[in-house]
Amino acid sequence: MKTPETLRPGERLFALLLVVFAGYAFWESYGISGFRGLATGGIMPMLASGVMIVTSLVILGDTLRKPRATRSGVTGLIAYLFPLRVVLFTGLVAAYVAVIPSVGFIPASFGLLFVAIWALWDKGPIWALLISILSTGSIYLLFRVVFKVVLPTGSLWQ
Amino acid sequence: MIETLGFFATSWLDPYLLMLTALGTFAGIYIGAIPGLSVTMAASILISFTFKWEVNEALALIAGVYVGGVYGGARTAILLNIPGAPSAIATAIDGYPLAQKGLAGEAIGLSTVMSVIGGLIGVLALAVAAPLIADFAIKFTSREYMLLGIIGILLVGTLSGESFAKGAFAGALGVMIGMIGLDPMTAETRFTYGSINLMGGVPFVVAMIGFFGVAEALAQLEHLHVAPIKQKVARIVPAWSDVRRYLGLGLKSAGLGTIIGALPGTGGDIAALMAYDQAKRSTKDPEVPFGEGAKEGLIAPETANNAAVGGAFVPMLTLGIPGDAVTAIIIGALYIHGLKPGPLLLTDTPHLFWFIVGNLTLANLFLLVFGLTGIRIFTKVVECPRAILIPLIIILSAVGAYAIQNNPVHIAWALAFGVIGYFLKRYGFQVGPIILGVILGPMIDANYRRAMIGAQENVWAFFYDLLSHPISFVLTCALVFMCVTQLPFIKRRRLRP
Repeated sequence: MKTPETLRPGERLFALLLVVFAGYAFWESYGISGFRGLATGGIMPMLASGVMIVTSLVILGDTLRKPRATRSGVTGLIAYLFPLRVVLFTGLVAAYVAVIPSVGFIPASFGLLFVAIWALWDKGPIWALLISILSTGSIYLLFRVVFKVVLPTGSLWQ
Repeated sequence: MIETLGFFATSWLDPYLLMLTALGTFAGIYIGAIPGLSVTMAASILISFTFKWEVNEALALIAGVYVGGVYGGARTAILLNIPGAPSAIATAIDGYPLAQKGLAGEAIGLSTVMSVIGGLIGVLALAVAAPLIADFAIKFTSREYMLLGIIGILLVGTLSGESFAKGAFAGALGVMIGMIGLDPMTAETRFTYGSINLMGGVPFVVAMIGFFGVAEALAQLEHLHVAPIKQKVARIVPAWSDVRRYLGLGLKSAGLGTIIGALPGTGGDIAALMAYDQAKRSTKDPEVPFGEGAKEGLIAPETANNAAVGGAFVPMLTLGIPGDAVTAIIIGALYIHGLKPGPLLLTDTPHLFWFIVGNLTLANLFLLVFGLTGIRIFTKVVECPRAILIPLIIILSAVGAYAIQNNPVHIAWALAFGVIGYFLKRYGFQVGPIILGVILGPMIDANYRRAMIGAQENVWAFFYDLLSHPISFVLTCALVFMCVTQLPFIKRRRLRP
């Protein structure tokens, strides 16, 4: 993969956040067993987070040398990192994960499929409904009946 | 010898294993071909369903998916100019121009036959080289295993990403994730924050599903409405004269692919690109220039990427170091079944090694059958819109994350890893080193501590041990060389013409 010549929107801020995260990870690692010995449980986390600190500083240094992107600033960052479609879809998936324990896996999956396909595909709700029913049925048959996988049941139906 | 043949033929003689291998190969072709689905993603999800199966059954299915998937990407590269998998990027360069000239069928046929030849050579290399390497690796101690683990992670970081720093950061992040939970030696808690769920650690399958499945699904949202260009397909079975003519190039590319596949961290994608480059340099007078439909440009990458499959199994089975992302997942599958990949795997469980060799051979033969048939149905299936695929990937990821321990919290973790993976990918980080870090981190930790205790916790004695034993000395030198060659001023000097 070739490194781009200019910064991606928000890349410098991201690199800075990595440094902060790496520092926090080192602090937490130090908290496990400190420098009590060289074969304690905290040594490997400290070494790994130490590598993270050094490499994140190198990454930050690289971003300081590169010129800014044409679409920089908050608008550029939002367009690059948080396109509306990604944000809404992630929100939908988060809602799906949240409702699984109460409504169960199959109804929640049907809901996610129907809403997502309807929103992402330009064929209308009838097609979305048909494909969602077909897909959910196939998933149930394949995993529950064929693979005997236990699927999460909802507390509402118990 | 007879016993070995029996192990080799296990999946050939058992109808159920035969069926699973065929099913895996068939499904793999479609998974590899459909843009948006990847073999790594499929293998990581499959592990979570098959962990209760017999190890042979799980391996038959996953190995079939792997072999079929590496090949499957070529079909969409030729027909639609969209490589279904990274290993088919080089295939599209000449495969698609061939299709535009009305030779799509011929191109698919030739790529199928050459993929099978490459695949079989890779398996042969695995059968010959692995026992020799394992015999040598049996001398390894905790020092060598620690060094091999670090080298494995760093190699992936070096070869697959934008920069060494990003690869090393990702690898270290993976090691940190692998450290979460109770310390297996002292039962101290590490990064658990009082959570009972975290005390058991993060199952690496959950991390894999998040970083490969969910993150990829989110990234695919950007390419929602990329319309493929369709081609007409005529005769598929290639002319025997063509196969004979390009056999020499195929064998050379297969050799190259096997060696590159065997290097930890590399895989079919790098093997294919290097073989393409090699073919371009070594072919003096191609009938058609490279990039405009040269058959040499199609054959070289296709033979190499399938040969890399057998190659990737060599370090995985002999040293416990995965050759690529899929073998990293297969290592996970072996761990789940209570097996420890490494030199002892070949001596303690030779039946498993020869089963894998036999199964990969069988998968390649199925590849020949499925590769030369069913092309019309195939062209319909691969046009499945991403708007349907993406939510389906999320649901499969959710089942996979849940099924591993029947814990709904793991679905949320997979989503969180997916979002982190999406951000990292946007800024040029590869997720492969993270997964390797999660898998190899605990192994590196345990071996480092054993080596340090052996040196009586004296840092000088530890380094003296590293440098005074021949194998660890060579590995330490390799590690230092890898790091030094990535220093900015050395890199600039190497790149200077």
